[in-house]
Amino acid sequence: MMNIDKNIIFRIGLSLILLLLVNAILLEINVLNILISLGLLALLFLTKKQKENKTEQITPHENATDNPLLVSVIQNLHEFYGQEVEIIENEIDRTSGLVGEAVLGISDCFKNLTQLSEDQQTMIAALILQSQSIGDDEGTSLASFVQESNKTLDEFVSVIVNTSKQSLQTMAFTDEMVKQFDSVFALLEQVERIATQTNLLALNAAIEAARAGDAGRGFAVVANEVRSLSVSSTELNENIRREISLAKGTISKLRASVEEIASADMTPILKAKEHIGTMIEHIQDVSEDSKAKVNELSNITPQIANAAALGIRSLQFEDLTYQSLNSLKSNTGSIRQINESLNKFCNESKTYTQEQIDTFRDSCREITIKSKNQNQNRSVSQDSLDEGDIELF
Amino acid sequence: MTVKTNISDDKKVLTIVIEESFEFSQYQIFRDAYSEIDVIGIKFILDLSKAAFMDSSALGMILLLKDHADKLSGELIISKPSVMVNKILEIAQFHKLITIQR
Repeated sequence: MMNIDKNIIFRIGLSLILLLLVNAILLEINVLNILISLGLLALLFLTKKQKENKTEQITPHENATDNPLLVSVIQNLHEFYGQEVEIIENEIDRTSGLVGEAVLGISDCFKNLTQLSEDQQTMIAALILQSQSIGDDEGTSLASFVQESNKTLDEFVSVIVNTSKQSLQTMAFTDEMVKQFDSVFALLEQVERIATQTNLLALNAAIEAARAGDAGRGFAVVANEVRSLSVSSTELNENIRREISLAKGTISKLRASVEEIASADMTPILKAKEHIGTMIEHIQDVSEDSKAKVNELSNITPQIANAAALGIRSLQFEDLTYQSLNSLKSNTGSIRQINESLNKFCNESKTYTQEQIDTFRDSCREITIKSKNQNQNRSVSQDSLDEGDIELF
Repeated sequence: MTVKTNISDDKKVLTIVIEESFEFSQYQIFRDAYSEIDVIGIKFILDLSKAAFMDSSALGMILLLKDHADKLSGELIISKPSVMVNKILEIAQFHKLITIQR
């Protein structure tokens, strides 16, 4: 009976320490726990050896009370468990709180980032649109304005060339007119000759009339009239000649004026045309460049949104962390339960019946198996964030 | 003479060479170079290789020559314009109206 009791106590100690060890490993708690467990194990074996040596002398009644060392070990174990479990649970709660706060902050951050990048995209698009217009009410683009200017310049050039052509044609007509004036001069010369001849004839007639004496007096008056007519005719001729000469002078002024109209220097237009050409090219370059940049930017915006979404999705680790922490709590619960049993076992009595020991061992086993099963369930649950789709929150 | 003409032996090609700046002062002599020609189907070659400068009156003169050629169902070809002259012909869009041989 005494032997059995000692062995039973040994077994209880052994199973407790093993349990501590298993729990330590399962929970991946620090090395210190494992070392403590191993130390206690060694102590237990040492005690057993001593007791075995004394076995023959110890009375059955002594067996419960002569193991104060073991009882105090169990007591210490119980206190240690209680303290550690409390610390672990506090840490779990603190971690949960920290993770929750951090996740909320980061999530807000990502959402802001997405919104800001969208705003930026809209602004850039508006800016580019604005930079390509000339600022009128119809929203004319710079490119179409320059094209329009180019067209206007072409029309202007064609007006100039046409004006030149028409002026030159006018020139040809005036030249014709000058030629015609020259032939009028020729005609005037003939008239002049006739007037001169008439004058001579009138002179002859006057001489003949004088020779005829009184009979020719009347004729002399007529001859005189004819002579003065020829003089008037000559004067008229001179007047016509003078007028036509004046007209010729006016025509040469007209020529100078037409020359002015016809001869436009094309060099400034040439330069303007070159400038417009350069401008069109530049605007096209800028426009294409802007388009490419806008495209790049519009590609970047969804990329930012995707990155932010990925970031937000990655924040789902919060759930997984909570799951882990919760399951950790169930582990500490198990330890708590064993600790309770241990406490009860210590307090009940200093003598342990086989039944009490068996009950305690069974309850330890049961809790261990339960914890083991829970852990297996956990290991088949989600391990990685990439497994399965997670709705954004 | 700043405007020289040369008519081919068969009288069907008249080459007009402008030797200086092509402008209003040449108007009379240029017009005289072709105005008497009345050969149907005549080909006018306007050689501008020696013309360094050209103003709008020259363009007008070319258009009048073109009208004359059209009246005779003939043809006008502008030959070897200098870079500057060619630019002026281009802004006046003459390449759409007249054959220009570079």
